Amino acid sequence: MTAKDGRKTILRIENLTKEFGHFTAINNVSLDIIDGEFFTIVGPSGSGKSTMLRILAGLERPTAGKVYIRDEVMNDVPANLRPTSMVFQSLALFNHKTVGQNIEFSQKMKGVGAKARRERCLEMMAMVHLPEDFVNKPITQCSGGERQRVALARALASDPDILFFDEPLSAMDFRLRKLLEVEFKDLHRRAKKTFVYITHSLEEAMIMSDRIAILRAGEVVQVGTPDEIYTTPNSKFVSEFMGEINTLEVERGKNGRFDCPQIGHSVKVANAPKDFDRGYLIIRPESVRFLKRKTDAENQATGILFNEYALGSRVQYHVKSAETTFIVERLREDAYQGNVDDEVMIGWDAADGILVSD
Amino acid sequence: MTTRVPASPFRLSAGAKCAIPLGLLFLVAFVAPLSIVLGFSFLPERTFGFTGELTLENYEHFFTEGYYGTFLWTFGLAFAATCCCLVISYPVAYGLARVFGGWAAIITLIFVFPIFVSENLRLVGWTLVLLKGGGVLAYTINMLTGFETGTLLYGPGSILLGLTYVYLPFMIFPMTLGISMVPKEQVEAASDLGANRLQIWREVELPIAMPGILIGVLLTFVLAVGAIAEAKILGGQSIVPIAHSIQHEFTYAQNWPLGSAISVLAIVLVGIMVFFVLSRVDLDRLLGGR
Amino acid sequence: MFSETKPWMRNTIYAWTAAVVVFIYIPIVVIIMASFVKSRFFRLPVRAWETKWYEEALTANLMHQLHLTSFYIAGSVAILSVILGFFGALAFARYEWKGRHLYQKLLMVPIFFPQAVLGLALLLWFTFLGIIPTWHTAIIAHLVWIAPIVTLVISIQVYGYDTAQEEAAFDLGANRFQVLREVTLPALAPGLLSGALFAFLLSWVNFSLSTYTTGADNTVTEWLYAKMIVGYTPLVPALGALSVYGSIIILVVGYLVYRARARSKAASS
Repeated sequence: MTAKDGRKTILRIENLTKEFGHFTAINNVSLDIIDGEFFTIVGPSGSGKSTMLRILAGLERPTAGKVYIRDEVMNDVPANLRPTSMVFQSLALFNHKTVGQNIEFSQKMKGVGAKARRERCLEMMAMVHLPEDFVNKPITQCSGGERQRVALARALASDPDILFFDEPLSAMDFRLRKLLEVEFKDLHRRAKKTFVYITHSLEEAMIMSDRIAILRAGEVVQVGTPDEIYTTPNSKFVSEFMGEINTLEVERGKNGRFDCPQIGHSVKVANAPKDFDRGYLIIRPESVRFLKRKTDAENQATGILFNEYALGSRVQYHVKSAETTFIVERLREDAYQGNVDDEVMIGWDAADGILVSD
Repeated sequence: MTTRVPASPFRLSAGAKCAIPLGLLFLVAFVAPLSIVLGFSFLPERTFGFTGELTLENYEHFFTEGYYGTFLWTFGLAFAATCCCLVISYPVAYGLARVFGGWAAIITLIFVFPIFVSENLRLVGWTLVLLKGGGVLAYTINMLTGFETGTLLYGPGSILLGLTYVYLPFMIFPMTLGISMVPKEQVEAASDLGANRLQIWREVELPIAMPGILIGVLLTFVLAVGAIAEAKILGGQSIVPIAHSIQHEFTYAQNWPLGSAISVLAIVLVGIMVFFVLSRVDLDRLLGGR
Repeated sequence: MFSETKPWMRNTIYAWTAAVVVFIYIPIVVIIMASFVKSRFFRLPVRAWETKWYEEALTANLMHQLHLTSFYIAGSVAILSVILGFFGALAFARYEWKGRHLYQKLLMVPIFFPQAVLGLALLLWFTFLGIIPTWHTAIIAHLVWIAPIVTLVISIQVYGYDTAQEEAAFDLGANRFQVLREVTLPALAPGLLSGALFAFLLSWVNFSLSTYTTGADNTVTEWLYAKMIVGYTPLVPALGALSVYGSIIILVVGYLVYRARARSKAASS
């Protein structure tokens, strides 16, 4: 199987469904993951992403559908025989073993000799930046960051084609998470493996991934590069998942304009699809600006500025206008010159609004 | 393209499979003997097989021949011993869970150790303490005050002492487990909301520690009901415990049905208590902190 | 009010606990004293001390027989109840399955059951089946009470055990047997060990079940009981004192081994 741009598909998911009793965790999902890419599956808790990963790793059987790795059906191949390794959410390190014994585990299971095992272990430790003298350290004495690296080295040591990550950073504190996000990305480049990563944080996905799939209630909502997802979210769900954003309910009105009851008048939208009748207009906070004159932007609204937050290099404002509250973000040097409780006029251009369905 | 993986109709879950070995033991060596006992209790006097008419005469005999006295004494003493253990244990358990800190492990070990010395032996030790004239206690009192004391042995009091003594650890440990389940923040929150020490104890600590305390009460009480050695060694023959009556009917008197009837009544009484307590305890929380 | 316990309360608790410890150890100390007494009966004040009762306790044939019987029973119970308890604990604490809550409660029933009544019911059952009670039947009787307790002891370990470790091993290429040998058993080893120790000691000191189910065989506790009812000699405290020393040695050695292992683990880092 070959993708459009000539690169090979390594993992193909075809009409995958998983039911637990009457509950459908995954509903007819199909995905192609390309050899060597960093692919992230993002979704809120309960969206089925963990179940999906467990099926891909061979820890759970699908109710229907197929999983291929390099054109081979994997449905009946158990986890221990699949060319994949997983970094678990709890890390699942063997607490009764040392760092070295953990990393060497898969080699030992294959019957590799002690010397060759140790060599491979040290190589892996170097790859994840663990000092060599950690090899005999008990897991129970490792810090959070060290444990994370041991888990990575352990998964890499089995030389898998695909490495799965089940939210390994979710229990980490902010600084460590930021550090490890960068390390994962860097490791992906050096290890030359396919990484399939799941997380509930789109921000984390954006930083690391080549491509992202967004999962909602067991179904894939959108697949694309971080850039595509950021600039053209295909639904209210995806856009709101990305963080704070302005969402206005709209309905097709006269003259190609759209009525927006929340702000009390119609708005102009560029590139509206012909068949779009009602839905939502998404406007990113940084696309909204303060206006001096009505003609400074194609769309306008007036309201009361009632909150102002400093976000480092940017400033965020909340503007209450009729039935809605706008979020406006400006760079510090472009900050609003005035006071809270002022009546202000804000606006955005037609091209900055994106129409999406639910 | 869609393929369905058929679920095998006769597949036991892993949990059920793991429960099988204990389940078999439970059936063969617990359910079966108790069923036999139940069966015999409805057969006429001195039958040794499942023949003859079903009858309630054994239960009649229980009441007409004064066996209920045995029951009153046994359950009464068990109840008294449980109360004594409850009072003695609470400060110790509180200390183990809250006060002793790093010493708790060592102190626990000190309390565990006697369990592993035969209970009969420790009771023998008490007889030597309580002996008339030359016993340790009488001698000490005589040395200190010059008074002669009569024997403290061979009466309900010494049996109560023996029961309290032997089953004290079985109260202390579950109680400690229960008290250590009380989160410190909840005590602090109650205090912050204006509760005084007594109110905190009544409204927060006691209810949360209750499962552990109930398990301790149940364990102590049931063990005390089934005790025989205390009554024999410390009590002389002054009181006949239930177990002894049953033994008498099963062996010397060769009256299986009457012995069975007594057993059934004892089991039913204890069973009601066990059911009452276990239905109020969440084992996952108590053992696993879930 | 501050959340720490007040000083007067702390002191009361310490004093109370000390008093309870004294209460618990009085008879044990007295037994050890009585074992060194020359006269046939223990009376204060003691006029002469000697150790001849120990010699008899250590050399008499009957004593060897009693200890062997107790040892066979306790050893078998320890091994069998750890095997039963291992699987029992997985069903109790690890797997989420349909009958789990019922199973958990049923498991408690033999523990909360008057032991003497259980022993007598088993006696009736064995007699009814035509089995003559010996120390073999006592093993069964002990197991009914001890295996559930061992299951609880191991369960506590199972609750604290991250089962993802097994999935990780499986994912890294281990087969079912390798997972058991490399991960499950070593990870649960402390629980299994303390379960075995518990089982052994509980069986060793048991009287209420043994007395009805050993038949003509006698355990140490049964002999102590019989001698106490009729025919007390200082052999009773001498034998008892020996068993106290034995228990102390087992617990101290166990504790030291545990400490040494913990230390060697720490040192290897």
